[in-house]
Amino acid sequence: MRIRTAGVIAASMLCLAGVAACGDKKDDKAAGSNPSAAAASGELVIWADDKRSAALKPFADKFGQENGVTVKIQAISKDQQTAFLTASQQGSGPDVMVGAHDWIGNLVQNGAIDPVQLSDAQKSGIQAGAIKAITFNGQTYGVPYATENLGLIRNTELAPTAPATIEDLVATGKKLKAEKKASEILCLQSGQNGDAYHSYPLYASAGGYLFGTTASGDYDAKDLGVGKPGSIAAFEKLRALGEKGDGALKRSITGDNSIATFTGKKCAFLVSGPWATADVKKAGIKYDISPIPGFKGGKEATPFLGVQTFYVASKGKNKALAQEFVTNYVTTPDLAVALYNAEPRPPALTAALEQVKGQDPDLAKWADAGKNAIPLPAIPAMAAIWEPFGKAEAAVIGGAEAKTTVEAAAKTISSSIK
Amino acid sequence: MIRWMKQVGWRHLVAILAVLFSLGPIVFVLSAALNPLGTLSSSTLIPSGASADNFTRLLQDTNFPSWFLNSVAIAGLASLISLFLSALAAFAFSRRRFKGRRTGLLSLLLIQMFPQFLAVVALFLIFSKITDLWPAIGFNTWWGMILLYLGGALGVNTWLMKGFFDTVPKELDESATVDGASHTGIFFRILLPLVSPILAVSGLLSFIGTINEFLLANLFLTDGGSKTLAVGLYGLVQGSERNTNFGIFCAGTLLTAIPTVGVFMYLQRYIVEGLSAGAVKG
Amino acid sequence: MTTQLEGPATRALPAPEETTPERSTTTAGLLVKIVLLGLLVATAVWAAFPLASGEHWVGLGILLATTAGLLYLYITPRHIPAKYLVPGTIFLIIFQIFPVLYTASTAFTNFGDGHRGTKAEAVTAIQTASVTRVPGSTEYQLKIVTEGDPATGALAFLITDPKSGQVSIGDADGLKPADGNPPAGWTVLNAGQASARSKEITDFAVPTAAGAIRSAGLSRAYEGKAVRAFDPATDSITDTTSGKVWKADDDEGAFIAADGERLAQGWKVDVGFANFTRVLTDETISKDFLRTLIWDFIFAIASTGGTFVLGMFCAIALQSNRMRFKGFYRVAMVLPYAMPSFAMLLVWRDMFNTDFGLINNVLGIHVDWLGSAFSAQIAVLLVQLWLGYPYMFLVTTGALQAIPGELTDATKVDGAGPFQAFRAVKLPLLLVALSPLLISSFAFNFNNFNAIYLTTEGGPFPADNPSNGATDLLITYTYRLAFGGSGAQYGFAAAISIFIFLIVAVVSVVSFRRTRAQEEVYS
Repeated sequence: MRIRTAGVIAASMLCLAGVAACGDKKDDKAAGSNPSAAAASGELVIWADDKRSAALKPFADKFGQENGVTVKIQAISKDQQTAFLTASQQGSGPDVMVGAHDWIGNLVQNGAIDPVQLSDAQKSGIQAGAIKAITFNGQTYGVPYATENLGLIRNTELAPTAPATIEDLVATGKKLKAEKKASEILCLQSGQNGDAYHSYPLYASAGGYLFGTTASGDYDAKDLGVGKPGSIAAFEKLRALGEKGDGALKRSITGDNSIATFTGKKCAFLVSGPWATADVKKAGIKYDISPIPGFKGGKEATPFLGVQTFYVASKGKNKALAQEFVTNYVTTPDLAVALYNAEPRPPALTAALEQVKGQDPDLAKWADAGKNAIPLPAIPAMAAIWEPFGKAEAAVIGGAEAKTTVEAAAKTISSSIK
Repeated sequence: MIRWMKQVGWRHLVAILAVLFSLGPIVFVLSAALNPLGTLSSSTLIPSGASADNFTRLLQDTNFPSWFLNSVAIAGLASLISLFLSALAAFAFSRRRFKGRRTGLLSLLLIQMFPQFLAVVALFLIFSKITDLWPAIGFNTWWGMILLYLGGALGVNTWLMKGFFDTVPKELDESATVDGASHTGIFFRILLPLVSPILAVSGLLSFIGTINEFLLANLFLTDGGSKTLAVGLYGLVQGSERNTNFGIFCAGTLLTAIPTVGVFMYLQRYIVEGLSAGAVKG
Repeated sequence: MTTQLEGPATRALPAPEETTPERSTTTAGLLVKIVLLGLLVATAVWAAFPLASGEHWVGLGILLATTAGLLYLYITPRHIPAKYLVPGTIFLIIFQIFPVLYTASTAFTNFGDGHRGTKAEAVTAIQTASVTRVPGSTEYQLKIVTEGDPATGALAFLITDPKSGQVSIGDADGLKPADGNPPAGWTVLNAGQASARSKEITDFAVPTAAGAIRSAGLSRAYEGKAVRAFDPATDSITDTTSGKVWKADDDEGAFIAADGERLAQGWKVDVGFANFTRVLTDETISKDFLRTLIWDFIFAIASTGGTFVLGMFCAIALQSNRMRFKGFYRVAMVLPYAMPSFAMLLVWRDMFNTDFGLINNVLGIHVDWLGSAFSAQIAVLLVQLWLGYPYMFLVTTGALQAIPGELTDATKVDGAGPFQAFRAVKLPLLLVALSPLLISSFAFNFNNFNAIYLTTEGGPFPADNPSNGATDLLITYTYRLAFGGSGAQYGFAAAISIFIFLIVAVVSVVSFRRTRAQEEVYS
């Protein structure tokens, strides 16, 4: 028994010696190329969502070749913001992050992104709304490359003229429904839990607001518009459009089916963004894009302006290169045009927008629909709005009383903004 | 006829009803995958047009083949190894009596109850360290993911197997011991062959669990080439793009089921053959 | 009939492990053992090098101790149970137990958005965020230069005023005119070389009268000024333009001004039991807690029970040698489990749509499934049944196969009908084998976040209460509270999880105790 044990030990030692020798060799090789030093010498890591990372790839490679560095594009499929924050905090995040501008407030409070110093010339080359969107507490955080806003897409065979007011739209829709030419009046996605982003234009037109603004033009989290008389009146109007009223707003129209219902010619009007046009074209529908109409005698139905942005990560390993990439490379029109070709959202760079306007008449129409769009609030408090607001919207569409619903939502929102 | 109904017919009836229930939603997915406009709103089971467009786009425009390979490799290896680790532990829990046995079993159960999406932050911390030290088993690697999934090797499957080890009579071990078999001999030569149905079932369950895992894979596999099916597919239906890609997504969902069904077909004979009556008598 | 299962009432193997040496180990077995141990040591050596070169002595110590422990364990003939338990346990400790303990510890902190890092990180973030361009200042073209080796030499900024063409060179002492672009003796760093020294360049500042010249990337420089500064002496941040002061509050983990305004960038601090007391005292939580808890129990029990009954029923139905097409039936029944569950949850949600959903269209009805509390609850349970019964089907199929055939044969001889035979013989055995699984399935469903979040998101919600819906489980409900506000509150979420964990654990432990009696019968 003892001899056996000794044998096992001896044989294991032999194995160990053999493999350790190999291990040594491997390590020598590794030391030669020195992976950690290589990472520091010129590697730029960019995170984006799946679609954009594919579009960025050729440009990242080009930037890498021109500058003698390696650029790695990595795609995060879901929860990009949380993934970025978690990874950044542990020091294994990217150098450059691509995402929506309304993350800024949260990213700043977590110290995850650095301001970007744009020259006056660069700033003037970017649409004013986009610059406003990425300005937070007086600093510009990141470089915008594309904008998006909602508009009204209509099937011109069913509805040849753009409605001037919501009332006009509903009248046309009802007529089409009566004539059995369509089964829905309007495709505006809500779902069982509502959709604050898509319903906001109507809410704004009916006199509601989300946050007031401070003297400096920033959103003021202390001045909450939900629960104010204007918001109750606005929800009354949504209720009148809802299932117990005109039937123009329905909870059964969701993000999954609203575009499809429109492309299936079951509905003459669709409230959506530039991302919807690809499907509409594919379905062979004759369409036109116009601003979302407001209520008769109401305010303008301003949609939100969303801005896709390149951020410089505070805890990136290669910040100098990241700054160079974001401030001096992303601001060139070529990249913006390529990203547009990957996904048709209007470029934020004026020069790029001019360049692609010719090939796509829709762009000017989207821009017109978003002419008075207000930037999506980037303050952290905005995160508290989405769910309660959406649920209140869904409830009134289903016929619930506006006042109690809005007040309950306001209470939930204000208790979670601290 | 009545006799047939009583003995076999009702079985077919149950099976057919269950199959209809099972396949209904899947046919819906199939119809969306064949529908060239690929949207979810089609309220019928028959697609408005049939084309393989979505499948070709899936293969051409996305990294689907590499997702597929990654998934099969990670899920295959991880479930094999974890099956083995799990069987080892189940053997100890079933055949050995030692201090802390029941506490150990109970802790295995309790530890599974902690919601994993909270633990993600801590796992990320661990993996950042691992990647710094040993990039070969860090982020974006097969082995990193496999190691991570092995953390769950002792868990529900250990319980399952322990339960079945318990049903194998101890006389078998005893007579083998008398014949001069060691504990490893008993484990590998006597117990494992006897519980092969449950090994097959556990292996399949763990394969399915791993291949569908999304939460951790999304965070730990960021390189386009290293993603798994679950992560890649989810990326297709993100946000406002959900509509646009739904057909491709459905096509991908259907193809994802192929490796699982393959594994199931392969394992089926073990599951079905079961325990031969003679073996029990020892 | 059941004698072979009961066996003698021995609690240990006849050969006590401590005294008997391993017997009849074959040469092949020995060889396998040697190779495996050799691999173990080799892996340890492989892992040790980076630890040693990174001077992680504690890590190296743990590695050595673990390896030595493993070698001892597998060479000594003792500790047989440990030999079987340790391999899985190592992974369990690293990837499950440690993360859980770490998470639990965050319950005592304010960890969350705005409080993720350290105080030093918060200070850096505040200062960096306050660097603004000096109004009206020049923007320069930049080259990064050195007089020495590009990898190590002292850096300087070579800047050109685009208007005047004036070239200057700047370092920590300030700007001076340069003769030449670049001046003789200076090397310009290319992008690769420069990015190797990224941190130095980012931190580099050439002092000027109005502030300092800093880099904006590698090719441009601007004159900027940090408006906010941290003073360690008073432990506060001062705004140099407005003169406003924010004092550090180490209980809150934030800089707070006299008027109550706090800076967004905070840091992680210990808050003791504050998160726990908040769970207990928060009005929104206590108000709907009981209702949600009851539904959560119904959901978990009905999901587990429903899938088990249906799965078992199907398994029994397919348990016949005379039946044809069994292979097809099995594959078709397993398919729902083979599809990615998140995808199928989304599909089901759309199938329940009032106007466009498959279910209403096929049945020709107009039910607002997810719009009313009761039907939404039925709907999520139906989805659970669909998703989960293949699992139970597989498990019971395997279990039925493992039950010796003689048992059923024996009952047939006794003249019992198939149903009685099943109830008397197979069901008890099945329950013994599967009850742990049923407990764990209950626990899983109790916290089945995806099942609710991807279908109803907890809804429908009463119009006057957007924070608690009819299908909300405790986990979805409380996570809305922790993550639905302005930023994620991980500390609070961890505290909630601990409470939920305690509830599930108590239920499981109680049920587990009841399985003991059953287990003893067979061991």
